[in-house]
Amino acid sequence: MTNSSQRYEKIEFLGEGQFATVYKAKDKENDNIVAVKKIKAGSKIEAQDGINRTALREIKILQELNHKNCLVLLDVFSQGSMSNVSLVFDFMDTDLEVIIKDNTIILTTPNIKTYMIQTLQGLEYLHLNWILHRDLKPNNLLVNASGILKIADFGLAKLFGSPNRLNTHQVVTRWYRSPELLFGAKQYGICVDMWAVGCILAELLLRVPFLPGESDLDQLTKIFQVFGNPTEQNWPGVKSLSDFVEFKPYPPVPLKNIFIAAGDDLLDVVDALLVLNPLKRKNCSETLQMPFFSNKPAPSINAKLPLPQNIKKKDLEKPSLKRKLLNSAEGGTLSKRLFF
Amino acid sequence: MKDVIDVMELQREKSRRIQTLNYRQLDFAAGFTPARFIFECGIKLHAQPLTIASATILMHRFFKEVDPTNYDCYLIAASTLYLAGKIKDDSLKIRDIINVAHNTLHRGSSPLEIGDEYWNMRDAIVQAELLIMRILKFEVSIVHPHKYMLHYLRSMEGWIGKDKWNSIPIARTAASFLQDYHHDSSVLDYSPQHIAIACISLALQCYGVRLPLIEDNEDEAWYSVFVKDLQKDKHWEIMEKIMEVYNKEPENS
Repeated sequence: MTNSSQRYEKIEFLGEGQFATVYKAKDKENDNIVAVKKIKAGSKIEAQDGINRTALREIKILQELNHKNCLVLLDVFSQGSMSNVSLVFDFMDTDLEVIIKDNTIILTTPNIKTYMIQTLQGLEYLHLNWILHRDLKPNNLLVNASGILKIADFGLAKLFGSPNRLNTHQVVTRWYRSPELLFGAKQYGICVDMWAVGCILAELLLRVPFLPGESDLDQLTKIFQVFGNPTEQNWPGVKSLSDFVEFKPYPPVPLKNIFIAAGDDLLDVVDALLVLNPLKRKNCSETLQMPFFSNKPAPSINAKLPLPQNIKKKDLEKPSLKRKLLNSAEGGTLSKRLFF
Repeated sequence: MKDVIDVMELQREKSRRIQTLNYRQLDFAAGFTPARFIFECGIKLHAQPLTIASATILMHRFFKEVDPTNYDCYLIAASTLYLAGKIKDDSLKIRDIINVAHNTLHRGSSPLEIGDEYWNMRDAIVQAELLIMRILKFEVSIVHPHKYMLHYLRSMEGWIGKDKWNSIPIARTAASFLQDYHHDSSVLDYSPQHIAIACISLALQCYGVRLPLIEDNEDEAWYSVFVKDLQKDKHWEIMEKIMEVYNKEPENS
């Protein structure tokens, strides 16, 4: 085994989260550009607890995954005697949050279809392998320059399916958190991820977060202002959830009034995912079978997806550079363009 | 077949007197001693059975890669238990592990004061944890035989018939064999499906149960409905390895 910490050469700082710092780096063995996620050693007290649980969970789950729409773990290494661990991933150019917030980008129905299909296929794979992601949001859906979307950040992911096992309801970033989690459900399944996907789809249409609650209670208010209040009829058992509270009654608003520009087949998808009763939400496979995904217009080709300009620029430079290379070395084929 | 049953007789006699081992006088015994230590501590800590099984697997994997004489096997055992708790989301507190491990090694002693000895032990466990992860190249996912065994047993319940099934503790015995087999490092050498079958086979033989509706002939064994790639001699080999575990248990002098 070569010394991993020297194998990767830091290029630039990319971002910082609660648990980790991410750098762009070059793999000196094959010149690939990678992302190195360095788990924070944390306070002295945390360091005394050894390897970070979040990191370990991510390592364990990622090692078992292999799907084109899930971020693949390339390597893990640690340096020094402190319990710090770094995870190495494929480098991804941007994420869906950046794309959604970029006003210069126009997202057409075919674009949305392609992003949704990729998200659903990646998530379908996770669910078939009994993994709940539990933290889906645009920020965790990474996109590379070829328009491939990959689900990332498995720090909260967990195996599901064991009966009697209690989970915490303090998962998922609030805006994407489903009503049962907000009501304190401790036994839940793939439906929490499906709700988040529904919110992401809504956000792709609106270009702003669909339900930006300021507190957990405000989050529920925002949900009920759109979908109406839950009742024992449309959601049997809702009142037995531990944190259930009665809300001021709101009438449901037709989705057509919120998503004015969306077609009926698209609204059906929103409607199938954002259902108050978790058991009534469609799963990934069912959603992918809905007419929206097979109706015209066809989904965009990955490479044609609109991306932020700074990424496109690189794309424009590349061919010219390639052309030079092609001129110097004869017989170069276009397929070489895939290697970056 | 005869010696299988003899082993069981032997076990029954043994289990009547529960042994209190003095670990400090035992040697590594090809991984048996640290495994036994993990089981004792794990049970005292109320760890889930799969957490304990994971700890033994990690421990056996670790000692397969290194020279066992270079490491204190009880430190590694305590550390794998801590690591397994994290991997299986079965949170074991490091302070509890230290207290239990300390008390198991020094029976009758009082819990460690928060002082130098405690902090040294804590640092040692945390550092050993990272060392184990590095030695194992961060590959910590484990496919256990348990889930296969559960499904095989479920199918067999209907096959044998409920009344007979409930009158003979096949499932319990098979599960005990599986748990005990984790004392031996050869548990790493076979596929989880094969281990599950071998444990069930052994349990069936102990109670002389024959499965109805099939002829156990030379060409096809009863388990071929569950696994296709298990040859008879390999099957026998695993069963022998499981039985050998019971001979490795140290007799206290």
